[in-house]
Order: sequence, then C-alpha cells, then structure tokens
Amino acid sequence: MSTLTTGGTVGLGIKRISASKEPDTTTKQYPPLAILVDISACIGCKACEAACQQWHDLTPPIMTPEEVVQRRIAGYQSHPDLRHDLFMLMKFNEGETHKGFTWFITKYQCMHCAEPGCLIACPAPGAVIQYQNGIVDFDHSKCIGCKMCLVGCPFDVPRYDANNKPWKCNFCVDRVAAGLEPACVKTCPTQCLTYGFKEDMVEKGKKIVEQLKKRGYPNATLYDPAGVGGTGYIYVLPHGDKVKEYGLPENPRVDASIGLWKGPLKVLGSIAIWGALLGAFLQLILWGPIKVFGGKEEEKEG
Amino acid sequence: MDIERFSGTDRVLHWVTALAFLYCMLSGIGIAYPKFHWMLTLLGGGEFARWLHPWAGVVFSIGAILMILKWARDMVMRGEDWAWLGRIKAYISGRHEELPEVGKFNGGQKLYAWIVFLSAIVFFLTGIAMWFPENFSMGLVRWSVVIHEIAFIVATAFTVIHIYMGTIGVPGSIWGMIGGKVSETWAKFHHPKWYREVRGE
Repeated sequence: MSTLTTGGTVGLGIKRISASKEPDTTTKQYPPLAILVDISACIGCKACEAACQQWHDLTPPIMTPEEVVQRRIAGYQSHPDLRHDLFMLMKFNEGETHKGFTWFITKYQCMHCAEPGCLIACPAPGAVIQYQNGIVDFDHSKCIGCKMCLVGCPFDVPRYDANNKPWKCNFCVDRVAAGLEPACVKTCPTQCLTYGFKEDMVEKGKKIVEQLKKRGYPNATLYDPAGVGGTGYIYVLPHGDKVKEYGLPENPRVDASIGLWKGPLKVLGSIAIWGALLGAFLQLILWGPIKVFGGKEEEKEG
Repeated sequence: MDIERFSGTDRVLHWVTALAFLYCMLSGIGIAYPKFHWMLTLLGGGEFARWLHPWAGVVFSIGAILMILKWARDMVMRGEDWAWLGRIKAYISGRHEELPEVGKFNGGQKLYAWIVFLSAIVFFLTGIAMWFPENFSMGLVRWSVVIHEIAFIVATAFTVIHIYMGTIGVPGSIWGMIGGKVSETWAKFHHPKWYREVRGE
C-alpha cells in the first residue's frame, strides 16, 4: 500500500503522497515556496504563458479567429481553457469597477494547495506527490487514469491526454530542484511574478496590498485561500471584492463528498463486506450447509 | 428425474452479468481501496483495470436489466416472501419446518434480484458521470462517486451472500446455473410450490 519512494522525482523531500501512509517528515524538511502574482503589475503580455510552453516543450494548437468568436473568449486570451498541453493560461475578463472599465486578469494554473484535493482524492498509491517545498506533482507511472484528481480539485485544473493521464503546472519542479526560478517567473518583464519562500511572498504581497489601498484600491486583497490550507500561487487582487471576476473561486475547499467516500464510507464498506464474509463463514461452522431434508433423503436416495 | 430450473438463455444471461459484475467488483475494490491496490495487478494492471471497469460495468448493467425483464414476474415480492425473510434465522440454522412454503424463488433470492437490478441502474448512471467527469457539473460527479460507493457496499455485501448460498451454503443449487437442472429432491425440499407447478400437481 505504502509507496514511500522518490522514484521518478528529483529527490526532494516528500510531505505527502496519494493513497499512502503519511511519510515521516522529521528527517527532511523544507519550508514551502510560493509564487506571488501581483495582478496590479501585470500588463497582460502573456510572456509567462509562452515561457511555460517553451520550458515544458508544449505546442498547443493555435486557435483560428473563427474558433475565438465561436468560443466567446475575450480577444486577449490565447485559449478558452487549460488543455493537457497547456499548463497555464492568462485569463482576461472585462468588467466594471469604481475605476470604470477594468481588465480582470488572472494567471490560471494549478495552485499547489497545501491541502491538495487531487492528492486527497487520488486512489493510486504514489500517483500524486506533494514535496516538502509545497510543489504538487503527478507520477504518471503510478497513475491509473481514473480522473479523480479532477473530481477532487477545487480549481478545476488537471487536464487529460489521450491515455487519461493528467497534466498541469508542476511549478517547474525540475528547475526549482536545480536552484532556478520557475520559467514564468524568470520571463516576467514587470516583476508581476516573484518567487521565494512562502513566508516572504506573503509579507511582500501584504505590503503591495497596503500600497494599493493607499492608491485608491480600498478592496485590494491577498488571495491565499485558507479553505485549502493556503496555496503555492498567491495573488494580489486590486479588486479583492470581485474575486469571481478574476475567475478564482471565492472560498475554495476540498469538497465534503471527497472526505465522505475516502473516510466513513470506506470504513462502512469494509465492515459490510468483511461482515458478509464472516456471516457466511459463521453460518457454515455453526449450522452447516442447508442440505435437502437435513441430508437424510439424499442418503436414502443414494 | 432432474428438473430444468434455468433455461440456456437464463444461464448465459446470468453468467455474462455475473462475470462482468465480478470484474467490476474486484477492480472497483482495487481502485477505491488503496490497501487492495495490488489486486489490480491480477486484473491486468491498474491502467487496464481502470479502462475495462466501465466497459464491464456497461455489460453488467445491460445484463442485469435484461435479467430482471425476463424474471420480473417470478421476482414479485409477496406477503409470504416477507414472512420468509422475517424468519430468515430459521432458514440459515436449518429449521426448515418453520418456514412458509416457497415457489420458484424464496424471499431472499427475490430481494437479491431487486438489489442487483436497482444497483445496476445506480451504478450505470453514476458511473457515466464518473467516466466522463468533464461533461457533467462537478457537483454531480462528486456526489456520483459517493452514491457509486454506497451501491458498491450494498451490492457487494449481498453478492458475497449470494455466492456463498449458491455454492457451499445450499448444496445442489449450483447445478441450476451449470447445466440448468436440479434434482427432484432438491426442488421438492427448497421450492415445493414450484416443484408442484412443474410436475403439474
């Protein structure tokens, strides 16, 4: 059952893996990392999206103008949605605020939750890994393709290839392990994206929020949803009262149904099925098989 | 002197449904219960088992529905069946004389038939949502998983009993589904009303 290995990974310390015993994390510890996305500094250039595709060798098909019209997406957006070959997407949403017309821009990809719904829902031992540094990654060699990671995800992130294997942002785990910043951060020309220890990023984000409040954005907030234990991507939202307009869920949490079938229903199922087996066995040893006429007639006939 | 209990069609239908259910049950346990993940190796590997599970489920669901369509009349629960179920303890402890006379199927068998039928419908509907989660609202898919699991618990617990009764628990009954014929004595003892009907008494 337990798959306590770093197989296929780069030897980072493990915090948690799917469908397995909790690892002993006292040996190797590392503080969580985070990327701070300061939407107030984003110019919507999508360089991060291009860098992501370049680093991960992704070639999602380019949409035709007809497709863009048909799928009703705003002109700046490259694709209507994430794809198995598109790990992150800049989302553009038009709206009105007290400042007049506003672009609600979001960087949309896996959020690297501290409480990852994908990992909690995944039934395949070792297919979802959460490293000590907070990165949540998939191991396709252990994945069976059941899509429960999508069912568990509060952010609707994993996308599946032709073999039902999930793909998503992996926080450039390979770069991070080599001491480099993720590709999107590396390329961002406006310092909208910064990367470091989560503690520092939260502090920095709060400072920017304070500045924004002074500059006429009274609702500015730092988006680091507590319902999933906080996330590896945290956002400075200038219009914090309009979280949904940014395409982010207001209060994401791992759905109660996941805990129900992962917890109490497993116990109930085990009791019922072992109980049925035990019941049958007890019937056998207490009273024996139900023979025709108590077994007498058969002897007579035989 | 043997009596035909199940026709060739009955038997084929039963075994196709049974084997499909067995595969679904074992692969489902392997998929849903990490402690039994190793069973998937015996069922063709995790990826294969996950691929075959829904197809086997389609076969099971169709088989179960055809079976109930064919057998529904025999499976109608009557007062005597509930009375029989009420005295189930006498049945399992071999105090046969305390039980009401039974027709082609006893109350337990009838109950199981309806559980299989209902579970087939529930498995099918919730299974489709789980098979193609991108095409349904996530709330629906999430609760489908819960309902699928509940259906699994009920259907599997009863199937364990069904398999036990059909093999070790009630000697002789397996021949109804293998070859289709049961002995006259067996019929007279377990299903006296049905025996008299068949014999035209």
